[in-house]
Amino acid sequence: MAKYIGKRALRSLLTVSIVFVAVFMLLRFMPLEGYFSDEMIKEADEATRMSYLRNLGLLDHPLVQLGRFVKNLFQGELGRSLTVYPKVPILTLLKEKIPVTAAFGLVSMILGIVFGLSLGLIMVKSQNHFGDHMGNMFILVIRAVPSILYLFVIQVYVSAWLDVPMLFYDNRPNSWILPAISLSLGSVAWYALWLRRFMVDEQNQDYVKFAQVKGLSRSAVQRKHIFRNAIIPLVIYLPSDLLLIISGSLVIETLYSIPGTGGLLTTAIKNQDNNLVQILVLMYAVLSVLGVFLGDLLIAFVDPRIKLTQKED
Amino acid sequence: MENNQKTPILRAQNVEIKFDLRGKILTAVRGASIELYEGETLAIVGESGSGKSVFTKSFIGMLDKNGKVTGGQVFFRDEDMMKYTTEAEWLKVRGKRIAMVFQDPMTSLNPVRTIGEQIAEVIIWHFKVSHAEAKKETIEILKKVGIPNAETRYHQYPHEFSGGMRQRVVIAAAIACRPEIMICDEPTTALDVTVQAQIIQLIRDLQKELNMSVIYITHDLGVVANVAEKVAVMYAGQIVECGTVHEIFHEPVHPYTKALLRSLPQLGIRGHELYSIKGTPPNLFKEIKGDAFAPRNPDAMDIDFEEEPPVFQVSPTHYAKTWLLHPYAKEYAAQIQERDRKRSEEAAAKPVDAFDYSNAEKLLEIKNLSVSFKARGGKFKAVDNVSFDIYKGETLSLVGESGSGKTTIGRAIMRIYDKVEGDIFFDGEKITGKQTKQKMKELHMKMQMFFQDPMASLNERAKVDYIISEGLHNYHLFDHEKGRKEKVANIMREVGLSPDFASRFPHEFSGGQRQRIGIARSLVMEPEFVVADEPISALDVSIRAQIINLLNRLRQERDLTYLFIAHDLSVVRFISDRIAVITKGKIVELADCDELFAHPLHPYTKALLSAIPYPDPDVAGRNELLTYDPSMHDYDVDGPVWEEIVPGHYILGNQKELDGYRRELGL
Amino acid sequence: MSQQNEKKITLDPVKFRAAVFDHMRSEDTGYSNYSYWKSTFRTFFKSKAVCALVILICGIILMSFLYPVFSDVDPTKRSLIFMDWNQKPSETHWFGTDQLGRDIWARAWYGARNSFLLGFCIALSDVGIGMIVGALWGYNRKMDPVMIELYNVMTNIPSTVYLVLLAYIMNTSFLTLFISMASRGWIVEARFFRNRILSIRDSEYNIASKCLGTSMWKIVTKNIIPHIISLIIMEAALCIPYSIGSEVFLGFVGVGMPVDAITLGNIVNQGRASFTQHPYQMLLPAAILCIITIAFYIIGNKFADASDPRNHV
Repeated sequence: MAKYIGKRALRSLLTVSIVFVAVFMLLRFMPLEGYFSDEMIKEADEATRMSYLRNLGLLDHPLVQLGRFVKNLFQGELGRSLTVYPKVPILTLLKEKIPVTAAFGLVSMILGIVFGLSLGLIMVKSQNHFGDHMGNMFILVIRAVPSILYLFVIQVYVSAWLDVPMLFYDNRPNSWILPAISLSLGSVAWYALWLRRFMVDEQNQDYVKFAQVKGLSRSAVQRKHIFRNAIIPLVIYLPSDLLLIISGSLVIETLYSIPGTGGLLTTAIKNQDNNLVQILVLMYAVLSVLGVFLGDLLIAFVDPRIKLTQKED
Repeated sequence: MENNQKTPILRAQNVEIKFDLRGKILTAVRGASIELYEGETLAIVGESGSGKSVFTKSFIGMLDKNGKVTGGQVFFRDEDMMKYTTEAEWLKVRGKRIAMVFQDPMTSLNPVRTIGEQIAEVIIWHFKVSHAEAKKETIEILKKVGIPNAETRYHQYPHEFSGGMRQRVVIAAAIACRPEIMICDEPTTALDVTVQAQIIQLIRDLQKELNMSVIYITHDLGVVANVAEKVAVMYAGQIVECGTVHEIFHEPVHPYTKALLRSLPQLGIRGHELYSIKGTPPNLFKEIKGDAFAPRNPDAMDIDFEEEPPVFQVSPTHYAKTWLLHPYAKEYAAQIQERDRKRSEEAAAKPVDAFDYSNAEKLLEIKNLSVSFKARGGKFKAVDNVSFDIYKGETLSLVGESGSGKTTIGRAIMRIYDKVEGDIFFDGEKITGKQTKQKMKELHMKMQMFFQDPMASLNERAKVDYIISEGLHNYHLFDHEKGRKEKVANIMREVGLSPDFASRFPHEFSGGQRQRIGIARSLVMEPEFVVADEPISALDVSIRAQIINLLNRLRQERDLTYLFIAHDLSVVRFISDRIAVITKGKIVELADCDELFAHPLHPYTKALLSAIPYPDPDVAGRNELLTYDPSMHDYDVDGPVWEEIVPGHYILGNQKELDGYRRELGL
Repeated sequence: MSQQNEKKITLDPVKFRAAVFDHMRSEDTGYSNYSYWKSTFRTFFKSKAVCALVILICGIILMSFLYPVFSDVDPTKRSLIFMDWNQKPSETHWFGTDQLGRDIWARAWYGARNSFLLGFCIALSDVGIGMIVGALWGYNRKMDPVMIELYNVMTNIPSTVYLVLLAYIMNTSFLTLFISMASRGWIVEARFFRNRILSIRDSEYNIASKCLGTSMWKIVTKNIIPHIISLIIMEAALCIPYSIGSEVFLGFVGVGMPVDAITLGNIVNQGRASFTQHPYQMLLPAAILCIITIAFYIIGNKFADASDPRNHV
């Protein structure tokens, strides 16, 4: 088992490295003009600009830059933001933004699991009846309509209806409600959809029929066998969900002006803030690969059929 | 006992069950009636679709959602269960007083809960006892069903058990509440022969010990003869005949029962055509008029097509639903009986010619064949250093249980695998390794394969015409389109299918018909050698004889050589010249058919032979059940060799064992 | 058990003699003439809602492609007259006009056409490439480590990186949007198809074909693809809502199509800006967008259900 975990860890490391190097190199293809602020383009002459770039080390060979970056990384030095928050150390930036996003993420994840699983259960119990149809409608809207549309409509209309602020304020807890709920909608739909699907699949299994033949009531079978088994394949996604709550939602943080990490990556890419992009991509890659890895460990722990020595598919 | 005879514990009367399949109504059970008395074992025999399983499921209110009991009563100790409307009423009976065991032990247990929990939960549920008590009781029951180390086994998961052990666990869960009736729905069909014999034994023992009544559902007459005291024969949703096991096997009166018994390969004589039931089981979506079996019964009377026969009592325990028992039919019935008697006398009189090996040519030589698969990081040897020859014109049977590697050998000969070790020669030429395109074509034409599962072996999305001519297309074995169509039509006629079926999809055909399509697909290449991979084991009893006859006829007409792969020694006996017994990737014994049955030497062969359920209640259960434990061989110092112990009789063993075998043969 | 037939019937002794044996009658299984595709479509169109959706979506597609041809309203025509700006829906402007006086009805159909084009291209490339790669992958175990690594890497590189990078190389356009969206879609599809192919690759009918000397190519086209074609269609149908959603999202982030390009994403995002005063500017085109995405989502899923032989009549 230790051997298996070691092997998996090495492979994960490889994946992260490839992702990182690929992104690092892609960023080097960006045009140099992108690194200048508007004033610099207007005012500074060619020589100033070049020395600015040279100071940042952007004129060196990409591989040299890569080596330097990795060296700094191992010394715990994440560098500073270039253009988005000029000269602010990235570590400070993240320390400030991650807690906000993570708090929302955690709350919405809990909401998502609680309400998603409940909805899934209700749908299974009222299979092909009213509750099921309503649940399906909800899932359909959430999954088929672009999220911006319904999130925007919620922001505008529901905030008025509930009489809560339309934007996020640090000191007004009632302004936190809508973003948290909005953030959870996607995962509510996801958990409900898959729980329902897996439970319906399990319902037709022989062992469920045998459990009924043993004389257990329908609800006991549902509780002790169907639900228990249907939840297992969902468990594999928990670690990823948990780890990636810090990446936040771009749409919601933008709509409600939440000072989180949500839009950071896209903003950084658009503004060619290489240092920031690199750190963020590295961070997200580590988290997502780690999430998958932990998911596999967790499922092996929960599902007795899966042993860690098995070859990964 | 006498007292019990009067009041049956369970009495089903004219039960009718209908299913709504998306607007189409299927009448699965059309007025079936049985009586079950205390402490007896009643077997319900029928082919798939006869409604036997659905019928018994109605006794515990476990029909699928779209099924409904539309008529009749089922009295359990004088209470009509068909009047139950709530789940609570059923729960008082289901699992507690009437238990059920399913066919496939691999899927009847929840894979993510320990087996102990799954048994204990029944006890807790029905008797409201504490967990500790339930656990104690569970361990007792596990011991009772023959599971060693019950304390540790309690905490294990189903995947840590073999198929046979799992079925024991399922039975343990079923008897946990000491039910009055246990319904066993094909409990051994998914198991190997040797395991099947043990489970049957277990059910018999438990029935006596707990004084249960058992309803045993099966399609296998061999099993029936072994377990049952009474037998009910079911056809097209009705019980057509019911009686004691001796009455059914020795004095059957319904044409279907008679035909079923006559068509058993176990009772056939090699070299003769097996009696076969014509046609396919009826479609229960349609309304059936008269006797459902009449269209397939060559001796049917006009009345059979018009009126449904009533029940006629033959003896106090024996009754049947056939017009042959009507006084008007007395004369005709006597005629048939007389003719049948004559026929069987004739058949017995004819000599059987054994295959002559004195100047037989070797067609296929397999030398030191090994096949390995990657599994769980390591390598798994499915076939381990196997050598044998196949002679031109013979039928060599390869018999083994599931996972023994028999199918792998067949597929290796067909060159399905990219890599095998050892050599295979066909007609003296090596066919393993890389071959030229021309050579491949030749081999594809000379060697063909029949498959086991008629449902899985045909491409559902292609029409029969394409399926049959697939090989012709590949090698352009026709001059023009008309010629190809003709070839397809001819081959379809040869396997007994109407050429009109060519434009249909496989979906529309029954199992036996699909199997014939598969056979036609291979035959159209005009092969010399065919690997027949369990071609009958997935078929219904009434269809098996048809396919066996077809295979035998083709062999004679086309000079075919067969490698016949099977798991059932009794079937193989009827069609093969020589038999090879394989277990765990190794062939342990190979001999002439008669020689093998007369002088089995290897302990595995003996175990296999002792486990065959013989379809005759007088013979059944007489043999002692032998078990085979591979650890009995001590091959560490003295390795096994493949030795021809007497001419034509090969066996695997080390010197010490060989000496023992020689002594056994009196050499 | 000896209850005689209650019904009194008069029996004719003549009937108690041998009947003629009819071979065809004994073989009668009574199955109707079944064809997989016929049954699939019959099951699919059995639901009236599905019929209506299919008609609706065909109408919308037709309209979006015909409108630009037959209508003389220029969707880019701005008006300099103040009166023409922000007009409410009326007989001349069915969906009203935006803040530049452009006719939203016309813009919606032009936008729908462009969004459809994008969606169809994405569907074609994702499913097309995905299927070919998936087939190769399914048949070649040796590709496993490389492809799994590639999958992990590809899904971890943010698509905005490609998008921004490509935008620098060749200006934001339909093509850059397509490339960045298609860049990872294919491998997700490839993995999906590979798993499906693996599950039917070793079934007996494929081994039978191998025994008959059928070439690999023919096995794939005749045996494998007909079994997964319904999945291919479903995946392609689901590509449309996915691509439209992505387009809206990228527009929202500010890296989508140029502002003057007419796409549903741009129209909706522009409408959002003036939502508080003129909600119709967003809601009406958004309604068309939602109809399209929801319809395709339902059609894709219902088709998958209908193509499952277990659901056939």
